[in-house]
Amino acid sequence: MIEVKHLTKTYGKKNNIFTALDDVTFTIPDGASVAIIGKSGSGKSTLMHAMSGLDRPQQGEVIVDGEDILKLKKKAVDHFRATQMSFIFQSFFVQANESCFDNVGLPLEIASVASKERRQRIIEALEAVELGDKIKSKAKNLSGGQKQRLAIARAIVNKPKILFADEPTGNLDSTTGDTIEDLLFSYTKKNKTTLIIVTHDPDLASKCDIEIRIKDGKIEAINEHKKAPTKHATLGRIQ
Amino acid sequence: MKMRDIVRRAGRSLKQAKARTLLTSLAIAVGAFALTLTIAAGQGARQYADKLIGSNVNPQALFIVKDETIFSPTATNAGLREYNADDTVLSDGSAIKQLTQKDIDALSKRKDLENIEPAYNLTMNYLTVEGSDKKYTSSLGAYGATILSDTAAGTLPALGTQIKDDEVVMPEDFASTLGKKPSELIGKKLTLTVAKAAAPPTEDEIAQIVATEGTAGLAKLAKGETKEVVLTIKAIKKKSATALTASTSLEVSNNQARQIAEYTTQGTNEYQKYFAVSALAKDSKPDDVKAALKNDGYTAQTAKDLQGVIFAVVNTIQGIVVGFAIVALIASVFGIINTQYISVLERTQQIGLMKALGMRGRDVARLFRYEAAWIGFLGGIIGAGGATILGTSLNPWITKTFSLGDGNTILIFEPLPIVALIISLMIIAVIAGYLPARKAAKLDPIEALRTE
Repeated sequence: MIEVKHLTKTYGKKNNIFTALDDVTFTIPDGASVAIIGKSGSGKSTLMHAMSGLDRPQQGEVIVDGEDILKLKKKAVDHFRATQMSFIFQSFFVQANESCFDNVGLPLEIASVASKERRQRIIEALEAVELGDKIKSKAKNLSGGQKQRLAIARAIVNKPKILFADEPTGNLDSTTGDTIEDLLFSYTKKNKTTLIIVTHDPDLASKCDIEIRIKDGKIEAINEHKKAPTKHATLGRIQ
Repeated sequence: MKMRDIVRRAGRSLKQAKARTLLTSLAIAVGAFALTLTIAAGQGARQYADKLIGSNVNPQALFIVKDETIFSPTATNAGLREYNADDTVLSDGSAIKQLTQKDIDALSKRKDLENIEPAYNLTMNYLTVEGSDKKYTSSLGAYGATILSDTAAGTLPALGTQIKDDEVVMPEDFASTLGKKPSELIGKKLTLTVAKAAAPPTEDEIAQIVATEGTAGLAKLAKGETKEVVLTIKAIKKKSATALTASTSLEVSNNQARQIAEYTTQGTNEYQKYFAVSALAKDSKPDDVKAALKNDGYTAQTAKDLQGVIFAVVNTIQGIVVGFAIVALIASVFGIINTQYISVLERTQQIGLMKALGMRGRDVARLFRYEAAWIGFLGGIIGAGGATILGTSLNPWITKTFSLGDGNTILIFEPLPIVALIISLMIIAVIAGYLPARKAAKLDPIEALRTE
């Protein structure tokens, strides 16, 4: 469970102050898929950064499984991110000159996983995103959809509890975007991973269990979609 | 993050910018090249000097003087000094204290010295060799029994034994000047003509000689007295690349040398005075004897000191080259700093990602430091390797060109100093990479990920 309490983040000083997050409070149950939706500049990215411990808001708490990660020391937050969280970005951030294997291996290296175990987990992750045949290929030789699948493999290889996705389909055409969405939803439901998607796409947001609308740093609305869990369980043909 | 993984990642990052990595490490390679050659040359020069001294000077040998200024090139005895009849006055007006027969006797009585041989100042008018009337001159010296030389012909007595008083040893060069093969000269007679110093005759002497021999006698008196020393050629010394002494001198026995010296200086101020004495330390360390001699008013130089003088020259030259190499290394340090800064800028996004994925700032810094270490390692390998290959292939040519003698190489490459050099270059590179690495470590991941 993730509890966000009274989160406030401001930039600038006195006369030039800008409030990115203003007293944000909500709760996310384990294994839920959550969309944080808002226009650009609404504070949704800042919220994600605060929830992942990358950013330190001035006020408020982010309690993950009973522990306020904002009160942890930097080393502990780093460890927390390395073992419990992962990220998917709009522009993939895969290392173009490295092989798929090395791209996916990065989080495991950071978490100091033994190399023998590492190999097995990397292969599993790549197979889960149907890139099992691309282990040795350089990331730059992949298509956009394949790159994002590679990023997903990198995100799931350390079996995170929380997966942050920042506009995961923003750089993809709608067909490819759909398959990426399906892949994310089916993986997180199957593994009971909490999925937090930051997006401005209402269609993607509507597919999530919870939709948090954010505007000018404040929560505008929280909608819960009651859907049959089987809806996303089918995995379409992947490009 | 495990060290091995960071090292591997650092290596991979460098591989992705091959040209840049290579060029940066080439700057270090220049320094490494110069340093490797310098170390090798120093090693070679030292070994050569060792060999040179080893084949010319007995390690027990001491060179004893009364005047310490002989050993210090900066100190002179110029200026106004009280006159001493035992001193010899040099052309620049400075005087040198000499050893007298009294000193020789005192040194001979010492239990820690043996083989005391004064440095005789030997001169001759001319020499002739049996079978020819042609007159020659050459420098003349006393036979050194403490070092055994190779011979081109004839045999020398065992180490430590003097040649007989009527024997003479000749360098190989002389044989060719005489137009003979070395073997043809063995057993031949060699006649030295030496002149007695013409001491100003007293009035009584002049009166006496005019009375008995007339004006012819007076002419003879003015011309001076000479004597002939007939010697047998015992051996021809082989030319040796490492032999310094006696390579251009005719050598007579120690006794004969004394007789000639005393004959030529009789009646002069130089009679039985020597500026130096060579001796061997007996049953004790040369350094201890040196200290004991110092207490008695003598200054001595050991074989080790002589080595020190040669090494000082080698060290000075080496120091100059090392200085240049260090300048090259300093330049390469800035090269590394620059390259690594650019690398950090180029990889802002990658650093951001790694930090977002939980990589610690410390590990990011290590990644960049190891990259710098790799550059240092590469530069070291290229420079040291290049120097070793070039030096090894040039060695025979250098030996030949400077006629150092067979088996002497001036560039000696030893693995240990090279390994030490490469390790220090890696450390230098890491130090150079410190600032860029710190910049990478302090990068804000949010900012970094925003950079497209």
